[in-house]
Formats: sequence, C-alpha cells, structure tokens
Amino acid sequence: MPTKEGTLTNSDKRNMRAVMDRLIPPVDDLPGAGSMGLLEEIERMAETHDRYRQSMVRFLDALTLDMSVEVSGGFLALDSDQQDEAISEIENSISGDFANVLEVVYLAYYSRPEVHRRIGWRTGPLQPQGFTLPPFDDAILENVRKRDPFWRRAPD
Amino acid sequence: MPGSSVDILIIGTGASGAAAAWRLSEAGFKVLCLEQGDWQQTDQYPTAHANWEFQGATNFAFDPNIRGLPEDYPVNDSGSDISPLMFNAVGGSTVHWTAHTPRFHPSDFRVRSLDGVADDWPISYWDLENYFDLNDEWMGCSGISGDPANPPRSQRPMPPLPLGPDGERIARGFDKLGWHWWPSDSYINSEPYRGRNACNNCGPNGLGCYQKAKGSTDVTYLPEAVKNGVEIRTGARVYEITVDQDGRATGAMYYDSDGIEHHQTARAVIIAANGVGTPRLMLLSKSKHHPDGIANSSGLVGKNLMFHPYAMVTGFFDDEEPNTYQGALGNVLMSQEFYETRKRRDFVRGYSYQMNRSSGPAKTATGLTIEPVRWGEGHHEEFAERFGKSALLAIISEDLPEESNRVELDPKLVDSNGIPAPKVIYKVSRNTRKLLDHGIRNAEKALEAAGAHRTVANPLLRGGGWHLMGTARMGDDPERSVVDRHCQSHDVDNLFVIDGSVFVTSAAVNPTPTIQAIALWTADYIARERTDLKN
Repeated sequence: MPTKEGTLTNSDKRNMRAVMDRLIPPVDDLPGAGSMGLLEEIERMAETHDRYRQSMVRFLDALTLDMSVEVSGGFLALDSDQQDEAISEIENSISGDFANVLEVVYLAYYSRPEVHRRIGWRTGPLQPQGFTLPPFDDAILENVRKRDPFWRRAPD
Repeated sequence: MPGSSVDILIIGTGASGAAAAWRLSEAGFKVLCLEQGDWQQTDQYPTAHANWEFQGATNFAFDPNIRGLPEDYPVNDSGSDISPLMFNAVGGSTVHWTAHTPRFHPSDFRVRSLDGVADDWPISYWDLENYFDLNDEWMGCSGISGDPANPPRSQRPMPPLPLGPDGERIARGFDKLGWHWWPSDSYINSEPYRGRNACNNCGPNGLGCYQKAKGSTDVTYLPEAVKNGVEIRTGARVYEITVDQDGRATGAMYYDSDGIEHHQTARAVIIAANGVGTPRLMLLSKSKHHPDGIANSSGLVGKNLMFHPYAMVTGFFDDEEPNTYQGALGNVLMSQEFYETRKRRDFVRGYSYQMNRSSGPAKTATGLTIEPVRWGEGHHEEFAERFGKSALLAIISEDLPEESNRVELDPKLVDSNGIPAPKVIYKVSRNTRKLLDHGIRNAEKALEAAGAHRTVANPLLRGGGWHLMGTARMGDDPERSVVDRHCQSHDVDNLFVIDGSVFVTSAAVNPTPTIQAIALWTADYIARERTDLKN
C-alpha cells in the first residue's frame, strides 16, 4: 500500500507493473505495458499532475485491500483471468480513479517509439517537420455549388 | 509603469481584447492591457515535444481545472452539465482554439422576430459585415466564396485548407444525401500570410501553433498593437473595477505575479475576460453605487449563460485511407442543412455539423469523445479498428438563453490570490436535447452514406464548453440588458464589455469571428463618439 505521501512501495510497484501488463497485454514482439519499463515514466507524470498521483494511490489501496485478492495471496499470485476480474471490480467501485489510471497508462504507452513503430506512426515531435499541405482541390465542390442560396433572410 | 494613467484599460488580451486594443491604438488612444497569463513561446508548444499528447491532456488541457497552472483560476462546475473551457495567456483562448471561423447568419440576430423565442439583438449582421471582413483580413482567413447557406461575402485572403482524403469522403457522403456542406473558414494560413508561415498540416492545432500559421491574437493583432504603443502587462490578475463617488469607472485593482496589489487608473475600462471571467469580475466589483456588482442594476450580470452543447458522432471506416490524422483537427468542412427552424420538427432553431478528423495514438486510445479503447484482451484489436480510421461529426447546437443558467461567485472556492472563483450553474434544456438527438440521427445517416461501417454517439460532450456567452447581454432596454448596442454599460458610461458575454443569443456556430467583429465595432464607436475618453 502506498505511503501517506503517495510514494509507491516495492510491492506496489510490482503490483502496478502486473496491472499494467493486464491493461495493455503483450502484442507481436512488444511486452505488456508493465514489462516495458513504463512505471517510472508514469510515476514522473503522476508527480507533476496530482489527479493521476491521487488516483494511482487510491487504485493501489483498493487493490491491496481487495479481500479476494488478499485471500489468494496477493494480486501477483492470481492467474490472468483472476487478475482481470480483480481489476474490473476496482473499475466498478472507483470508476473515476480507475479512468485516471487507465488514461495515464495509455498516455505513457502510446508515447513510446517502439509502439509508434508498430502502429505505423512517425515518432517524435510533430514540429517543426509537420506534414505536406496539399492545395485545395475545388473539383469536390461540383455538386454543392449547384444548390441555390438558401440562407434565411431576416428583418433589419 | 504601474500607476501611470491611460485612456483605455482593457482586461484580457484574447480574441476581443486584442482586436479592440489594436483598433483603438490606431485611433490614437493610449491603451493598456492587463493579462493574467504570459506571452507564449511558440517554439515551446507541446507539438515541439515528443510527449505532446501528454501535455495536451495535462498542462495544455482545455479545462483550467485540469491544467491548474498558476495563471489559471478554478471554476466550480459541479452544478453544470458542461465544463467551461478557457486558456489564460496573452492571446487568451485563441492560443488553444482550433480557429474554425464561421460567421453568425443574419437570422441569428432576429430569433424573436423570426421564431418567437429569446430576443432580437439590437444590431444586425449587416451592421457587423464590414467588421467581419476586417477581422478576416487581420486574423488571416482561409476559405472560399459561394456557400449557398450563407450570404455572399468578400473573397477570403487565402484559399481553403485541403479537405484531405477523410474530408472528401465525408463531403461525398453529404452529396449522396443531397445535404449542404462547405469547406470550413479557418483562421489558419493555407499559404504564407503577413509574415507568418503556412500551416504544415501537423494536426492538433488546439495545442498552440508552432508555425504561427494559426491566427491567435498574440501573433495577429497584438504585435501591431504593441507597435502602436499598446502596453501588455502580464501576470496581472484583476479583481475589482474601481469607481469614483459618482459610480463611474476609474480603473482596476490587480495582483501582480508576486501577489502585490496595484491600482491602474484609466479614463475608461473595457472588460474582455470571457463569458465566465467577465461576470466574475463584475460581480466582484461591488461598491456603494453598485451593491450587486458593477453595471448590474438589471440583475442580469452572470445570467443567461449559453454554451454550445455538443453531441459527437464518430464513424469508423474500414477502407484504408491513409494519413487521416494529418491536417488541422476541426478545420475541414461544415454542414448547415439543419440550421434553421422548421415547422414539422419538435424543436426551434437548429444546428451545424463540423467535421473533426482522427487524432494521434494516445488520444485515440484515451478516446477523443467516446469511451477509451477497452483494456485487457482485445485492446490491440480495438485500437487498430479506431486508429486512423475514424471521422467525427460534431453537432454544434444553438443554445437559447435562460436566466437560470448562470455564473455566480462561489462562496468557498478561491483562486491562488484568495479571490472568489466562479461557480457555474447550467442545465441543458429540453429544446436543446431534442435538437441534439435530431442531429445525432442525421449524423449517423451522413457517416453511413460516407461509408462508415459503425457509428458511436456521445449524446452530450461534458468537456465541450469552449464557447462562453450571454452573461452581460446587449440590448436597448436597461432593465433587460447589461450593455447597449455599442457594448457600453447602461449604468456606467465609461465601462464597456466586448467578449461573448454580450451575446443575446448563441447561434449554432463557433462565436469568435462574431466576438471580434463586435469588439471592432465597439472600438470604432469609442473612437468616433467618445473622444472624451482620449487625453
């Protein structure tokens, strides 16, 4: 369970990595989000934005206090279906916090160059390179130009 | 220099404040702008960084409650169906707007006469026409003439932005149904213009524009205003309009960024702090002459808040059109097929469609306007179905004024200077709900006609309060309005309001060109009729 100041213990970190692996599982040659080394990045993001930090603390609190998880020997001892079930229960009980945790995990994962390469996205900053701006082709207006003006007149 | 008196003190440097500052400085007035934010460094905008999507979700978010920067003030929106959005910087919300710039229609100024609802404006489209043109020139409008849904108008300074393959697909869908559409007017350069670059099609233009291709007022009006001698004083958070023994405005009290209080004197004050910030400041400015807030003898300051309630319908396509994330996010095309009242419908007034294209990977995963991509097994398949394969039709609905929708001062919440924060109370009306539902049904038809194999609707975008209007309305009757047709307070003859607060009705289009046209119209009135305000 995180400390009062919100610092993650080693146990929290192991749990969080396992959760992240379930949120975004491995695909092709990429590991799951937790095994990709994203947690440190997420902790940095959470440090700068309190809503993420608070939600992650509450999420990990809930995970630790979940009785069914505890009885089974902790989240890491569950099989993947059971882990998904435990995450779903927390999603339903603290939906706002779960949404924030999911958001920050997605933001971190989909900012990684290796993920960009896999999905065909040009990685790195968008600027100053940008993309090519082609000219407008007014041939597309052929149909709509045939329509008579239909704007509504109004008294002065 | 704090304390040195000026002719005109303008609170805010966004869309309206900047336009008025430039115009008044051209007429020889000594103008000072107080701005709580700072100048933005365009080469430091989020798109200059690899983590631009994270920045867009955090310190560059539209919502000040999420951003939480020192220059922001919190807004209590717990009693509102829609969260108000804004940006506090030199250039105001034009820094993060998408610069989609349609005009109000002539009918929008006459809804009482035409449809028996709300009120007519005391001015008409034709009063503002030349100011629309002037503003298009200064902000830099890309677009094309000939739209059958709007009055004829002057040629835009630049040709339209390209539709892109995704835009052309949607256009063909509208064509198939015989419905109107037209390329969007945008304050984005489609070619180099007045020393600013052309757009390089990067996409998320709501995150500031690295290229200065987008017309935010910090790169359009304000540099010229500064050349004319206008002073922009940043880090200045105004908390009171001060008055003399007769109740006339004498200037404003503000905190600087070190928390030190100052009094700035002026012959006249113009408030341009947006439809939430302006009523907040007016309600804060209580005195013997103005016990309910300055210029509030009508009791209407803060009342009649209007947003444009948005519904969003996303269509998913399985053809492989490439690069549908390239190009300005919301500056493709619009449809005004359903803009006006029709007798056989169960609602009055209407709506526009505005197409938005798809977005970057993280925004796709977190869900632009719909639920995030599912987590767990199936995540990657759903992501692949969405990424680069969607287009969105935003239904921008006319919002009629209701006094119960309002901005008040929060009794507890304060900003970092201890100034009471605004509290927003707003409910979507039954008329608006019917209108949005009609828009959703037709958006689904249009997207399917364009080839979408699946559509998903968001019936009301909570985080969609970009347009803040109506909270210090314009009118000829002092008992039913706060300012007159020239945006001059009925109660205080040297106090003006020029932002979206003065709107009588909201129309069903983005409001900024109309806000700026009104600001220029007011500046010309002051220059022409209020020479007493010039030293």
